[in-house]
Amino acid sequence: MVVVRRRWFQAPWEFRESAFFTAIAVIAGFLIQFAASGSGIAIPHLPFNAIALSLFGVVVLSSGLAFKNTPAVKWFGGIPLGLCLIFAIAVLSLIGGIIPQQPVAQGSLPTLLGLNQIFSSWPFAVTVLLFLANLGISLSWKLIPFKLQNLQFILFHAGFWIALSCAIVGSSDLQRLVVPINIGKANNLGYTMESDTPQHLPLSIFLHDFSLEEYPPQLLLYDPHNDKLLMNKAQAILEVRKGTTATWQGIEVLVLDYLPYALPGKDGVPQPADRKTGIPFAKVRIITASAQREAWISTGSPLLKPDAAQLDGLYLIMMPGTPKSFRSAVTVQDEKGHEIMANLEVNHPVSFMGWKLYQMGYDEKAGRWSKLSLIEVIHDPWLPAVYLGFFMIMAGNILFFWNGIKRREVVK
Amino acid sequence: MNFNTAAELAIVFWTIGSLLSLLANRTPALKLPAFLLSIAGSLVMAGFIAFYWSALDRPPLRTLGETRLWYAALIPLVGFLVEYRWKIGWLKYYCMALATFFLSINMLHPEVFDKTLMPALQSPWFIPHVVVYLVGYVLLAASSVTALHNVYLQVRKKRTSTGESVSHFLALLGFVFLSFGLIFGALWAKEAWGHYWTWDPKETWAFLSWLAYLGYLHAFRYKISQSKLQWYLALAFVVLLVCWFGVNYLPSAQNSVHTYTQS
Ligand code: HEM
Repeated sequence: MVVVRRRWFQAPWEFRESAFFTAIAVIAGFLIQFAASGSGIAIPHLPFNAIALSLFGVVVLSSGLAFKNTPAVKWFGGIPLGLCLIFAIAVLSLIGGIIPQQPVAQGSLPTLLGLNQIFSSWPFAVTVLLFLANLGISLSWKLIPFKLQNLQFILFHAGFWIALSCAIVGSSDLQRLVVPINIGKANNLGYTMESDTPQHLPLSIFLHDFSLEEYPPQLLLYDPHNDKLLMNKAQAILEVRKGTTATWQGIEVLVLDYLPYALPGKDGVPQPADRKTGIPFAKVRIITASAQREAWISTGSPLLKPDAAQLDGLYLIMMPGTPKSFRSAVTVQDEKGHEIMANLEVNHPVSFMGWKLYQMGYDEKAGRWSKLSLIEVIHDPWLPAVYLGFFMIMAGNILFFWNGIKRREVVK
Repeated sequence: MNFNTAAELAIVFWTIGSLLSLLANRTPALKLPAFLLSIAGSLVMAGFIAFYWSALDRPPLRTLGETRLWYAALIPLVGFLVEYRWKIGWLKYYCMALATFFLSINMLHPEVFDKTLMPALQSPWFIPHVVVYLVGYVLLAASSVTALHNVYLQVRKKRTSTGESVSHFLALLGFVFLSFGLIFGALWAKEAWGHYWTWDPKETWAFLSWLAYLGYLHAFRYKISQSKLQWYLALAFVVLLVCWFGVNYLPSAQNSVHTYTQS
């Protein structure tokens, strides 16, 4: 093969021109960001964003088709530019993957350049816009005339186009609000992550009850002089149950009895109690080289001090288990009188009149006794469009998997 | 069953299997026992995972050490598949060595045996999401190793197009799995955290690794020369490694929901 060195900007354009163009675009993005003194972009709300996106789509597809044979458009919808833009998005994402994405001092250089909010910054927006144009043009050529053999290409590229564009353009219509509610109360005010001023919701949530289940408590040996927890011989987290045994250097512990819900009795012996008030108690036998004794230990609660067993300057303590599940029993109502009762739990959101309600958190200091539940309510009208894109990509993926295996193409 | 016993047994099987397989070049009768022993190594790990799963009462997919168990069980299988499909024998040795390496890390840093699974992880999406990713990682690790070998062959002026097809196909398959993993993750995040994409550091790095292989596929389509592409594939795995291990150590990860429990 004879390699003829092309001059800059000599047709057909390739990687050099694409890289140059991409670099200019990213730099321009940073300059706009800087000129706007660090404020990112404001995307319009429905229906304006939907209109703008449709127009953009139509313009891209039709100009791709109309100027199919123009060298500049050929280049603009080609792989070299696509690769350079993918690289630019990767570099910008890399910045976002390294620099913490959270507000820092106004007027500092990272803010002015949008480095701490890269995904809503101008350089990112400019790159994504060009990427969508590039992808859209290459799509137009495979879309019309339609051929079945292009289906995989169409599913991947159109799916990604739809998912990416709708996720970004639709982000202005995404509402995520946290509603704090106390047991026995209703609330229709939600807070965003960014601001302390509450917003009125078109729905109100009444909290009947909040309940939390914990994993069994853990047995730990605490060294107060070095403020350290000592690792046991088995290197295991020790769940307290009747019959649990544990060994540390020179110390052996056996759990003789375990009451998951109990309260201290008159004679010092804990008595079983109900779930709401009781705390875990364990009767342990401690054997050291010199002595053997038995003691009751407990995790404590907001109302009760924990009981630890002291041994040679160390403390055998029982820590409450980590949360296993927590749920809120709620009634949700909107202004038109629609109403549902539901149990909200992590991973089990509930839909209501276009909103989705999530169990988010609770008063962590109070733990199992929390009287407060944090419910997140989310409204995302663009979700079906984004999911359509996801499912198209997955369908393309299945075809790709199948064809990729079958075709047995040989690298040349 | 004790982890060290299982790991040592698997390593012994892989080692003897590899030795027999090398000898089989002269004595073809050794081929079958060599293969059976090597497979047995992976079966031991698979058995251990099954045991560990039931002992923990939750799938062992939560900590880095636990993901290494799967990796150790799965990656030799890729080596055997490649040998079966493309008649390339050397990859399995690398794969078994890599698996041995992962098990050794686990033996040197014993994990704290913790049964708890936080509520957000208690989801039907948890297993498909992580397993799909692990398979993807395994394929791409094998792709990267093959590519490195191809680079070496190119330098020695002994390039083979079969070798280059192998790294390409492994990358292609790996990309398919990465894409599924990414989307499953997004669908799960919607159920668990309320939104499908939040540019959490782990998500960002997963996206970056996906972009790296997306770039590869297009560069391949554009007929970039194999000498460049094989280098690219060999190095692309570094991005995956950062995504897998490194994210925990990056400044951006302080408030990630995804960082594996340190182990
Ligand atoms: C940046 C804009 C992009 C351009 C200009 C572009 C262009 C192309 C072209 C021209 C092909 C070759 C198609 C064929 O020969 O039939 C291709 C293949 C492919 N593209 Fe894209 N693409 C872009 C972005 C993407 C994205 C975002 C995805 C993922 C969702 C994607 C996934 C694929 C896949 C999986 C293949 C098949 C590769 C193969 O068969 O080896 N592309 N692309």
